[in-house]
Amino acid sequence: MSELKSLGKPTRRVDALEKVLGTGRYTHDLKIPGMLVAKVLRSPVPHAEIVKLDVTPALKVPGVVAAITSEDFVDHGNWGFPVKDDYMLAYKKVRYVGDPIAAVAAETEEAAEAGLQAIVLELKELPAVFDVHEALKPDAPILHEELAKAQAEETTSGELEDAEFIEVHGKGNLSETLIVRQGDPLSKLSECDVVLDAAYSVAHQEHAYLETEAALAVPTADGGVTVFVGDQNPFITLSNLVMTLGMPGKVRVVQSPHTGGAFGGKSDMVYETAAQAAMLAIKSGRPVKLVTSREESMIASYKRDAMEMRYRLGATKDGRLRAAKIECWADSGAYASMTPFTSWRATIHAMGPYHYEDCHVDMMCVYTNNGYSGAFRGFGNTEVTAASEQAIDELAEMCGMDPMDFRLKNCVELGDTLPFGQKLEYSVGLKQCLERVRKISDWDRKRAEYSRQPAHQEIRRGIGVASFFHGLSLGAEGLDFAEHTIRLGEGNKFEILTGLSDFGQGSRTVFSLIASEVLGFPVERFQWLPCDTDVVQECGPTVASRSTILGGNATRLAAMRLLTQLYDAAAMMMGCMVPEVRQEGEVFYGPAGQRVTLDELIAYARANHIPLSAKARWEMPRIHWSFAKGRGVPYVAYHFGAQVAEVEVDRRTGVTKVLNIYAVHDVGKVVFPQGIRGQIIGGISQGLGYALMERVEFEKGYIQNPNFDTYLIPTAADMPVVTVEFVESELPFGPFGAKNVAEPSMVPTAPAILNAIYHATGRRIRHLPANLERVLLGYDLKDTVTTTVCQVGVCERAKCEL
Amino acid sequence: MDERVEVTLNINGEEYQLEIGKRWTLLYVLRDVLNMTGTKYGCGTGDCGVCKVLIDGEPVNSCTYLATRAQGKEIITIEGLSKDGRLTPVQQAFVETGAIQCGFCTPGMVITTTALLRRNPNPTREEIIAGLDNNLCRCTGYVKIIEAIELAARRMRGEA
Ligand code: FES
Ligand code: FES
Repeated sequence: MSELKSLGKPTRRVDALEKVLGTGRYTHDLKIPGMLVAKVLRSPVPHAEIVKLDVTPALKVPGVVAAITSEDFVDHGNWGFPVKDDYMLAYKKVRYVGDPIAAVAAETEEAAEAGLQAIVLELKELPAVFDVHEALKPDAPILHEELAKAQAEETTSGELEDAEFIEVHGKGNLSETLIVRQGDPLSKLSECDVVLDAAYSVAHQEHAYLETEAALAVPTADGGVTVFVGDQNPFITLSNLVMTLGMPGKVRVVQSPHTGGAFGGKSDMVYETAAQAAMLAIKSGRPVKLVTSREESMIASYKRDAMEMRYRLGATKDGRLRAAKIECWADSGAYASMTPFTSWRATIHAMGPYHYEDCHVDMMCVYTNNGYSGAFRGFGNTEVTAASEQAIDELAEMCGMDPMDFRLKNCVELGDTLPFGQKLEYSVGLKQCLERVRKISDWDRKRAEYSRQPAHQEIRRGIGVASFFHGLSLGAEGLDFAEHTIRLGEGNKFEILTGLSDFGQGSRTVFSLIASEVLGFPVERFQWLPCDTDVVQECGPTVASRSTILGGNATRLAAMRLLTQLYDAAAMMMGCMVPEVRQEGEVFYGPAGQRVTLDELIAYARANHIPLSAKARWEMPRIHWSFAKGRGVPYVAYHFGAQVAEVEVDRRTGVTKVLNIYAVHDVGKVVFPQGIRGQIIGGISQGLGYALMERVEFEKGYIQNPNFDTYLIPTAADMPVVTVEFVESELPFGPFGAKNVAEPSMVPTAPAILNAIYHATGRRIRHLPANLERVLLGYDLKDTVTTTVCQVGVCERAKCEL
Repeated sequence: MDERVEVTLNINGEEYQLEIGKRWTLLYVLRDVLNMTGTKYGCGTGDCGVCKVLIDGEPVNSCTYLATRAQGKEIITIEGLSKDGRLTPVQQAFVETGAIQCGFCTPGMVITTTALLRRNPNPTREEIIAGLDNNLCRCTGYVKIIEAIELAARRMRGEA
């Protein structure tokens, strides 16, 4: 590849200035004349039947202008993808504490609050279920009776019929089962020299984006509504609004210029917030703004699912992996939301990037009354890798091998086949990542040194590693494309139109850099615009770290087309043939010494009605996964990486200090160095929180820690020294070879830290987070209250010392 | 209804005469009354720091600070730091080092840093970290924010 001009060079974020000045607008900041304030009445109990709901008394409260329930929506506001099990406002039943029931719009916050108080609500509490195994018992309370009934009829004839699922005791709360199938791992396990059988679990994690969910809905002159939000995909918000408001052609969704973080969390809850605000705006004929408070957001919004996992891994005594039998139960909570998709990604990645002869994965998504779960950075892979990379460490130890050697011995390389039948045909840099991280972390010396710490030493160090893979973009989940336009705008700048959102991950900058690279103009020549469904093309959701690949390629192609237009115009202007035009940056030359600047060329194009605007669509290569057979090609390619964590544990207090994280990631190609470093370190901080402190504490369905004073996320003081390096195994169809990075960055952090804690203390903490008590005592004091025996049967959850 | 009172607030060098609710927080007055939305809401409980403003030079969480209490004091918000769109050295350093991702924590971070460097122009890394103990950021992992503060400090001391 020829020398790159813009990509990979130090650049600043294109939207930083207004953020640092405080002038950049977020949804929270939007304000227009006549605007009403909306508030939502939410369920105070985990499971109940709505016996009576009357909002008319609220309308009598001074200042209240509109009040709505599910009755106001088409089909009661029934929505949800892939399972249509949710409502914009609860219909007939509430299924978790925080489920929205009714909403009011009023002149002031006080009036809105008083309006909520006036609503007549009578609930008949129903038995609830808070444990995935309990939820699958035949006598468990069912959350979605109608779906369960439909499902029971379907499974006798469906595609899934011949798939061999592990036996579940009741199907009522089982929303989905996902599998991977290769060979017969159970028989193979009995032939293995070394077998590990262990149970792991991860807790619910809160996104904790600093801007809570919000929407501003503005009635339009044609009787429709425009909604301003910060979401993962304005087109999904749009289609949900059109469906539940019932006004095709009259809804427009505009993303606010800036969004205060998302991390996967700004889907379902924002769609609901948008629909509630929109319906209130339609009813009142006034603009309506709905902003959730932090407690409300923490209680009502979806989380990363908690998951229980049983791993049975087998190897030869010299450390060659042979078989994996993995069973997982994902706590979907009250609604399916994205859990079927996160769980699918989890099944694909559950065995890690290693060779196995035989491998089965079974994943059950289970409804419970614990809030609800959905997308969160890593999308299922973060959950299973927290378990699998510990399991790999445990097995390595049983084989008497160094964990790094064990991984190097078993990791996949170019040309290898993954345990679901996919041959890896390009861009596999895992081995290089492992070798590099071994070197930069000084692994061999530290590992040996820390292994020699005397038994009585109370402050102990440890070093641990985790490696992983992460499928690119959506994979076989669905059609995967983006369509961008680059067009001439004000001030002779070129505007990049995209349906992909920038919540801070830097995609605007990446697109500007790619356009700059192709066209040869400085980055300042390009202008970003917020997504507006009336202006931009559908690009699919901004999830799965897909922006750089999808949006990057669409930008690259659109820029190439625009360049063609510019050359055509230049040839015309200079009176020469196109091949005779030469370009140097923003100057075009003709064969006879003619010279025109870009601005002159633009003026010429404008005067002569030559459009300077190009669009391009780019689609991922199509692939197929058989959900029934548990085999196929789930993703076209993968991000690979390895992280090493070095910790210091005080055995007397249980305090774990992470000293260092060394991260080496195969990203294909570094496009925006400052941005990619930010993504990786930011991901590591979320992974560190996941490992050590973050857990949404559900007590019988009630969240015990709904604000930042009790739900702790990492602060500056918790951060280790982070060393980031890249392996660039170019992806043939990535833009300039680039792959994904945002999600993968956090996936290996937690298990690397847990492996390091084990190395330091000899205490294996299989249940996240590894908080003070678990590090100090080996179990969590809160767990001893309900001494649930792990249903998996291999450990007692209260004291997992397996 | 909250009892109303008259107050005069000095914000970014200008006097504002307002009639406000007795229990209104300074954050509410800034954002909802005066439409100065650079100061953000993140938790309302004093735990995240996105609502920080300077009151007589000290960084304060405006979400837990009653507006009436701010009378007679000098209030500086993010909007009041830079003059004519020119960045302060702290703001400049945040932009350059990439300390800004979603940017929602940025105004609070910049306010805290401004006060920190006034008090201590030559902070150690530990002192910077201690200074950030009431400012959360979910995006950056703090590393580049710390680098930005170090860069700003060096520049303000004339070393870079
Ligand atoms: S909003 Fe004031 S500290 Fe969070
Ligand atoms: S940049 Fe997003 S919270 Fe700090």
